[in-house]
Amino acid sequence: MGHDHGNVIKEYMKVFYALMILTLLTVGAAAMPFPHDWGTPGDILHVTIGVVIAVIKVIAVMYIFMHLKFDNPMIRFFVYVPVFLFFVLSFALNFLESWAYVH
Amino acid sequence: MSSALNLAHEPVTKIPHGKLAMWAFLASELMFFSGFFGAFIVLRNANYEIFGQGSAHLSVPMALTNTFILIASSLTMALSIYNLEKGNRGNARLFLGLTILGAFGFLIVKYFEYSAKWHDGLFPHQEGHTVFYSFYFLMTGFHALHVIGGIIPMAYMFFKMSTKKGYDHPVKVEVLGLYWHFVDLMWIFIFPALYLMIPYHTAAGH
Repeated sequence: MGHDHGNVIKEYMKVFYALMILTLLTVGAAAMPFPHDWGTPGDILHVTIGVVIAVIKVIAVMYIFMHLKFDNPMIRFFVYVPVFLFFVLSFALNFLESWAYVH
Repeated sequence: MSSALNLAHEPVTKIPHGKLAMWAFLASELMFFSGFFGAFIVLRNANYEIFGQGSAHLSVPMALTNTFILIASSLTMALSIYNLEKGNRGNARLFLGLTILGAFGFLIVKYFEYSAKWHDGLFPHQEGHTVFYSFYFLMTGFHALHVIGGIIPMAYMFFKMSTKKGYDHPVKVEVLGLYWHFVDLMWIFIFPALYLMIPYHTAAGH
């Protein structure tokens, strides 16, 4: 494995702290009373923030904890397709919210 | 022609077979959960009222605790693999043990969460909560099954590491680690989707 340089643990800890902070941010953002006018019935602002933070967390875990950063590019290609489809799906939550807002 | 022995080492991709197989399995797992998320998204948009009331009843502190537990156990899993690769058997075993503890911690919190829902009569077939609680129990239930499915091989490897001979298969532990991180990844999406995205007018009483 090509990642036996000494700062791997440092990177793991960085990801760990980032995940903890982003989790608190998600909870905090969900509790924020955004002005009612900004929100659709399902509230697009809360949903968008939740989905974007989740996508960032997932990329961090896959890239560092799951070693995609250090791995064979072939695995990366293999992983990106289903993950991309899943991200598109999660953003469908936002698109449907906007749809509900327009109509 | 190269012999079958060379094939066993996969000269083309240089990726251990187990690892490639695990990624393929995880890709299919992602599609398995995608079914739930797709249905959740569509039905949520047709039933803001029911989904809002449903998620307002869920316990965010318990889910938040479980999120922290899973993230920490992902870290200890990564550290266990790192130590095993470095040959630090003792530390590898210690961190794997901590990961198993985290998995049990998650299930214990889940037990209290489920029994609270049970106590309040919030079942999938409860009047008015039908759709939301079907999703809640399906998604968190399948996720909890994945946690249990992770504990079994982790416990096996921990037991092997505790023997005199040890368990010198870093690749196998790494492959199990991939699975364990995936369990964490799914929770990263389930947590905000079910617990935090409460449709506005139902939560704020508008």
